[in-house]
Amino acid sequence: MPITSTKTPNALLHGALDALILKTLTRGPSHGYAVARFIEETTGEAFLIEDGSLYPALYRLERKGWVEAEWGTSELGRRAKLYRLTGAGRAQLAAEVATWKKFSAGVSKVFAT
Amino acid sequence: MRRSLRSWLWRVPLDQEFDEEIALHIEMRTRELIAGGMDPAEARAEAIRKMGNVSRLKRECVDLGRKRDREMRMTLWLEELRDDVKFAIRQLGAAPTFTLVATLTLALGIGANSAIFALVDATLLRPLPYPNPDRLVTLWEKSPATAKGFASPPNMQDWNSRSRTFDKIAGFTPSVASMVLARTDGTAETISRQWVTAGIFDVLGVPPLAGRTFTADDEQQRARVVVFSEGLWESRFNRNPAIVGKAVKLDGELWTVVGIMPKAFEILGKTSMWAMRPFVNMPPRARGAYQLQVVGRMKPGVAIEAAQSDLTAVADGLAREFPDFNKDRTVVMEPMHDTMVGSDLKTTSMLFLGVVGFVLLICCANVANLLLARATARTRELAVRSALGAGRMRIVRQLLTESIVLAIIGGALGIGVGYSILRVAPVVIPDGLLPGTVTLQFDMRIVAFCAIAALVVGVLFGIAPAWQATSFSSPEVMGSDTRTTTGAGGRLRSLLVVGEVATAVLLLFGAGLLLRTLLAVESFDRGFKAQSVLTMLVDPLGSTFPPNTMQQFFDQVEAATRAIPGVQDVAWSTAVPLGESIFGEYPQTYSIVGDPPVEQSRRPTANYQVASPSYFSTLDLPIVAGRNFDARDTAKSPRVAIVNEAFARSLGGRNPIGLQVAFTPADSPNDKPTIVEVVGVAKQVKQRPDERTDFVQFYTPLAQDLIGDMMLLVRSQTDRASALAPAVRAAIESVDKSQTTGVASVTTLEDIEWAATGRHRFRAVMVSAFATLAVLLAMVGVFGILAYSVQQRVRDFGVRRALGATSGDVMRLVVGSAIKVVAAGAVIGLVLAALFGRLIATVLFGVQPLDLPTFALVTIVMGITAALSIAGPAWRAARIDPAQALRTK
Repeated sequence: MPITSTKTPNALLHGALDALILKTLTRGPSHGYAVARFIEETTGEAFLIEDGSLYPALYRLERKGWVEAEWGTSELGRRAKLYRLTGAGRAQLAAEVATWKKFSAGVSKVFAT
Repeated sequence: MRRSLRSWLWRVPLDQEFDEEIALHIEMRTRELIAGGMDPAEARAEAIRKMGNVSRLKRECVDLGRKRDREMRMTLWLEELRDDVKFAIRQLGAAPTFTLVATLTLALGIGANSAIFALVDATLLRPLPYPNPDRLVTLWEKSPATAKGFASPPNMQDWNSRSRTFDKIAGFTPSVASMVLARTDGTAETISRQWVTAGIFDVLGVPPLAGRTFTADDEQQRARVVVFSEGLWESRFNRNPAIVGKAVKLDGELWTVVGIMPKAFEILGKTSMWAMRPFVNMPPRARGAYQLQVVGRMKPGVAIEAAQSDLTAVADGLAREFPDFNKDRTVVMEPMHDTMVGSDLKTTSMLFLGVVGFVLLICCANVANLLLARATARTRELAVRSALGAGRMRIVRQLLTESIVLAIIGGALGIGVGYSILRVAPVVIPDGLLPGTVTLQFDMRIVAFCAIAALVVGVLFGIAPAWQATSFSSPEVMGSDTRTTTGAGGRLRSLLVVGEVATAVLLLFGAGLLLRTLLAVESFDRGFKAQSVLTMLVDPLGSTFPPNTMQQFFDQVEAATRAIPGVQDVAWSTAVPLGESIFGEYPQTYSIVGDPPVEQSRRPTANYQVASPSYFSTLDLPIVAGRNFDARDTAKSPRVAIVNEAFARSLGGRNPIGLQVAFTPADSPNDKPTIVEVVGVAKQVKQRPDERTDFVQFYTPLAQDLIGDMMLLVRSQTDRASALAPAVRAAIESVDKSQTTGVASVTTLEDIEWAATGRHRFRAVMVSAFATLAVLLAMVGVFGILAYSVQQRVRDFGVRRALGATSGDVMRLVVGSAIKVVAAGAVIGLVLAALFGRLIATVLFGVQPLDLPTFALVTIVMGITAALSIAGPAWRAARIDPAQALRTK
C-alpha cells in the first residue's frame, strides 16, 4: 500500500520526507523537480507525494540550515534554484537514518515473532 | 564562484524566487509527460494538477522564507556582536592600566549616582504607602500671617461636613509627645504618642493589623481609646493579640487599646501609638485654636482644583459665619506626598542628583579622553581595517561595543559601590531628614538604574572618540608617521578638559556656599551657651503626684541635683532651644490688654514656654531689662511673664515692662485667655538654627504654670555634661520613692545643636565630597592631556632646544597651553556658578549666592590643583635632552 501525503502531513511523514530530501541531496545540488523525480524512482513509487508539498519541505529545511539555496543552470539552460546539503544537514541525515534503523529493527523483531 | 541566493548585494525577491522555481518544475514535468506520449495541452494540465494549490503553497513558502531571512539577519548581527565583544575584551585586556583607570572612574560615577538615585526614588518617585495615594491632600488654613497654618478642630469638622468633593477629612497633631505607661510590676515607661482625630485611619485607608480603628461612636462618647503601632506591639507585647480590647494605664488614666496599625502607618510621625482626641461640644473659642494638621481623601475622579474651589467656598461661608475667628482665613491644599516629603528634602534630593550627574559627566569626559588618546595611537590599526573593507559604520560599531563593554564592567562595579554607600548611608544621614517610612534600600530598581546608566554612559563617552577615530583617509594614515597627533582629536580633548574644569569649578562653588552656610549656622550667636548642659525629659505620673505636690517634687529634684558634685546650675523648662517643646510647635495668639481690639484671626502669634527662675542662668541667657522670676511669683500671686527682644521690638518704642498681655494656649482652647504682666525681657534665642525671622517668645514661671512633663536642664562645671546623667537619675529616684517617674530623651544641648544643624552638615559634607571627587577627576584630565601632548611633541621640543630655546622657554610653552585650557574652564565654571547659584538659595543661610569670598576661594583651590597637575608634564618637557629627542623617531 503506497504511503500518500495528505494536505496536512503528520510528523512521521514530515520526518520521512525531510530525510528523503536530505538523502537525495547527498548526490549533489539539485533543483526541486530533480529531487521529486529521484524520490519517485528510488522508492519505486511507494512514496507518492504531491509535487507541491515538496517545496514547503525544502523551505523548512533551508530555514533550519540543513540545506542552502544557490543559483545554477537547469538542463533546459535556464536559471534554476539549486539546493545543496550543508554540514548540519549531513549530520541531521545521519541522525535520521540511525533512528529509522533502530525503529525498523524493532518493528521487524515484532513481526518476526 | 558560487552565487549565493542569500547574498546582500544581489538578491531576487522571495515571491519571484518561488514563481521561477515552480515554473521550472511544471515545465520539466510537462516535458516528461509529453515524452511519455501525452498530448502537450493535457500534459501541462496534468503537471499543474500534480502541483496542487499553488497560491496556498506560495503563501506557505514565502512566509517560511521571510522568517528564515529575519532569523539570518539576527544571527548575523549576533555573530558580529559576539565577535566585537570578544575583540573588545581582548583589546581591553591588552591595555590593563587603561582598563583599570577607565572602569574605576565609571564605577565611582555610576555608584555615586545609583546611591543618590535611591534617595530620589525614595523621596520623589515612590507614591505614599496608602491605597489611591493620589486622592490624598493636606489642607492648611491660610491667614494673612501664615501661608500654611494648622487648622482649628471646629473648622476641620465643618470642612468635613460641608464639602462635597471629599470622602472624609481628618487631622492629627503634627508633633509627637509622650505618655507614661504604668507596667504591671509597678514601674513606669515613657511611650511616644501622637494625637489624632477619629477619622484619620479611614482617610488614609490603612486597615488595622488587629482589632479596629476609631469610630464616630468613640468620639461621641469621648472614649479614651488608643491604637498601638506594630513596633510597640512587637517590642512590648510580643505580638500578643490578646492586648486588643484590654485597658492600659497611660498618664494615670485607663485607655482601651482598640487596634494595632502596621508599620507603614508611622509616616504621620515616628510614634508608638495614636490616641484619639474627641472634638465634641467644643466652646466657640475652640475655633481659634489652630492645632491640627489636616488631611483629606478626595472622592474618586475629583481634580484637586475642583476640591480646592469647593473648600474655598466652604471657607468663605465659615468666614462670614464666624468673622471673629475666620475673617481673612481660607483653605489651601497640596498633594499629601508634597507635605510628607517636604520642600527641604525635595531640594536636597534634586541638589544631590544634579551634583552627582555632573560628577558622572566628568567621569565620562575623562574616559572619553582616555579613549581619544588610545584612538590616536590606534589610527593605523583602524586604517588597515578600513582598507580591508570595513565600512565606517562597522568600525564605529566595533569601537562603540568596546566602550559599552567598558561601561558595563564599570556599571557592574558601580552596583557594588552603590550597595556599599547605601549600607553606610543610615549612619551618615541625620535623623529626621527622611520622613517615617522613607528608607533607602538597595533593590532591583537600583540595579536597573545602574544598567541603564552604564549603557547611556557607554554611548555618551564612546560615540565622539569612535567618530573621531574613523575620520581619516586610509592611505594618508598608513603612509604617515604615527607620532603626529591629529589636530581635530587634540581640539576635542582640550574641549573635554575645559568642560571638566568648568564642571569642577561649578561644584566646588556649590560646596563652598554650603560650607559657608554650615559655618554660619554653627557659629551663629543663638543667644545662649549650649556647652556642658545635660537635658532630659522628666515625666512624673499624675496619679502619684497630684498638682499640689508636683511643685514640691520639682523643687526636691532640683535640690537633690544641685547637691551632686560638679553641677553648676539646674533648671526646669518645657522646651530647650533648638530642641523639642513639650507643647509641640503651636504658635499662640496674643493681644496687649488696653490696645484697640484685634480680631482673633489677625492676632500676632508667639511661642510659649514654662521655665523655672534658674532657666536663664543655666543657659547663660541674659535678662536685658526688668527682672527674672523669683520667690515673689507663686501660684497665688498675679501671673507674670518674661518676653524676648522680638516682642519688645514689636512695640515700637513702648516699654514692655508692666504691660498686660492676654494669650490663648492653642493646646487648651477651652481655657479662658490668660492675662500675664510682663516683668522682664530676655535676650533673643534662636529656636531653629536657620531661623530667618525672630519669633516672639513668652516665658511663664513654673510656679504659676504647673504641668506634668518637664525638661530638666543641668549645667556641669566640666565639659563632660553627659557624665552626670547617672547621678541625676539617682537624684530623681531618691526623691520619687515609688520609682514611677519616667525619664526619657537624655541628651546634651550640644548634641541637640549638632542634630539641629544636621541637614546643613549633611548637604555640605555630601556636596563637598562630590566636588572633591570632581576636582580630582578634572586634575587627572588636565594631567592626562598635558602628559600626552608633551609625549607627542618630544621631537618638536628637541628641535626648539637645538635651535636655542632654553628649558624655561619650553616649560613656558607647555604651561601656557595648559593655562589656556584651565583658565577657559574656570571662567566658564564661574559664570555658570553665578547663574546657577540662585537655584540653591533656599538651602543657604548667612551667605549670598554671589558670595565673593567663595568665588575667590574656588579660584585659589582651582589654581593650586591646576598647578599641581601641570607641574609634572611641564618639568618633563623642560628636561628633554635635545640630542636624544632628535634621535628618537
